Amino acid sequence: MSKFTALVVDDEKNICDFLSKLLMQNNYRVNCAYTGRDALSFATSQCPDMILLDLGLPDMDGMEIISQIRSWSGCPIIVISARSQERDKVRALDAGADDYITKPFGTMELLARIRTSLRHSNRLNSGGSLPNHPYQSNGLTIDFSRRKVTLNGAPVHLTPVEYKIVSYLAKNSGKVMTYSAVMSNVWGPYAESDNKILRVNMANIRRKLEKNPAQPVYIHTELGVGYRMAEDGQDP
Amino acid sequence: MGKDLVKHQLRNIGVTAGLLLLATGLAFILFFFISKSPANITLFYFIGVLSIARQTDGYFYGIFASFCSIIFINYFFSYPYFDINFLLPTYPFTFSCMLTLSLATSASVSYIKKQNRALRLRERQLAEAEKERMRENILRSISHDLRTPLTGILGSASSIAGDLESPVSPEQQKLLSHIQDDAGWLLHLVENLLSIMRIAGDGTRLETVPELVEEVIDEAVMRLHKQMPEARIDISVPEAALLVPMDAMLIEQVLINLLASAVAHDPDGHSAHLTVEERAKDVAFHITDDGVGPDNVRLFQIFNGVSSDSSAADSQKGIGTGFSVCHTIINAHKGRIVAQNYANGAEFMFTLPKEASA
Repeated sequence: MSKFTALVVDDEKNICDFLSKLLMQNNYRVNCAYTGRDALSFATSQCPDMILLDLGLPDMDGMEIISQIRSWSGCPIIVISARSQERDKVRALDAGADDYITKPFGTMELLARIRTSLRHSNRLNSGGSLPNHPYQSNGLTIDFSRRKVTLNGAPVHLTPVEYKIVSYLAKNSGKVMTYSAVMSNVWGPYAESDNKILRVNMANIRRKLEKNPAQPVYIHTELGVGYRMAEDGQDP
Repeated sequence: MGKDLVKHQLRNIGVTAGLLLLATGLAFILFFFISKSPANITLFYFIGVLSIARQTDGYFYGIFASFCSIIFINYFFSYPYFDINFLLPTYPFTFSCMLTLSLATSASVSYIKKQNRALRLRERQLAEAEKERMRENILRSISHDLRTPLTGILGSASSIAGDLESPVSPEQQKLLSHIQDDAGWLLHLVENLLSIMRIAGDGTRLETVPELVEEVIDEAVMRLHKQMPEARIDISVPEAALLVPMDAMLIEQVLINLLASAVAHDPDGHSAHLTVEERAKDVAFHITDDGVGPDNVRLFQIFNGVSSDSSAADSQKGIGTGFSVCHTIINAHKGRIVAQNYANGAEFMFTLPKEASA
């Protein structure tokens, strides 16, 4: 199997070094770029399989890089950000980034994010068999073709809106989905900008799916950003 | 506010009366000792009206003074003296011109004053917005600059520890784990400092948004697990979903601090309990441990000025700082935070009001 190529964009040389060492240990081929200009020229000449992007670059706004790359490529972009920048994360995700990871991150966490993003992009590239293949994780099953949700074998009754939310998150399992992405998918592009209705629905869903709503197993909250559903256990 | 208004009006009335009297006095001196020509006297009154419009608030006093001047000039200083008479030939014309002129002057002076005030207010707002923006930028760059090297340290250490090609000796492994522990502790401290900076900007201006309590707890516990993978938190929340106005990032920090201290004080189990209770006016969060934790409570009191015993202040990595951060955050939310000992453990309790108080 040929190696995946990753492009690491960060102006801190130390971070680049440790990320590239980590990725090489895990069988990725790695390129580093310290500036936005380098990142764009690398991306166009090498067509990496995925990009790790720090938003705070000296010469360019990270958002600009995302939108430029998104204009010609769908390769996964994972944003590296510091925690207090909720607004930046949401902007980056809505601009086309696939996921984000917060500094400082564990190596396991980062590798898992990368695997998830690569899997999603592969599925999109190969035409995607996803609608027929049921979601399964920890006893929760979602059968997309029959629109049936079961928890440990027992059927769960969700309202149509609740089902729409859950199935959208399940189809993008492992990835964070922003409030606005879920809203426009469930209520259409002209949905209100206030996400309260989504959060109320989510509270109800949690009460139907989770044993303890404050310790969810299936749908986690990323405060101020959106929701992340547990990875599909059956995925190859 | 009402008292202030009365004071302002009294000042306005005083200024108006005083300046009118002054103009009249000067006019009398002119009239009896120098010349009886009404032209000069009229000019005195114009100056008076102008000054009144400048010195008082709004249009009213300027206009009022204009009418008064016309009446005074007519009564005192134009033929027939000491009598009101606007009907002599050319008088209606003269006096209506004077009135118009004086009204227009006073109105435009008041208008300029009003514009000036609006301009000053706008300038102040702009300056405040600029200050706020600068504070946010500083916070952002500090948070980036502090977290980046820590990410590097933690990442490099774990990548050396996990290197399969050139494994490290047990001795080195131990040193590596010290590096990771210390970096982790620094990170905890940085998070606390950043939380404080978010509040300490200007006073207690806090942006609260209604948040689901369970979501905040979920994220706090997930982040705690990153720091303390072995921690077991036993959580119970009310059946109904609770929306409470708060700055979620800060309350998360409070939960992490209190849970971390509770877990650290549990002698064997690494476990703690978090119970949320909905009450009439507020929501109470109880964090309890099964440990022998009088230390924690004592530390809490020291850091909140209840006790002055400073011997324990520098023990217990960062827990003390964490407590004072909690105290500041909960105060800014207009809640309460208390600590108390039980026979077998300690309890920390904080409350958040259900209604956002303005």
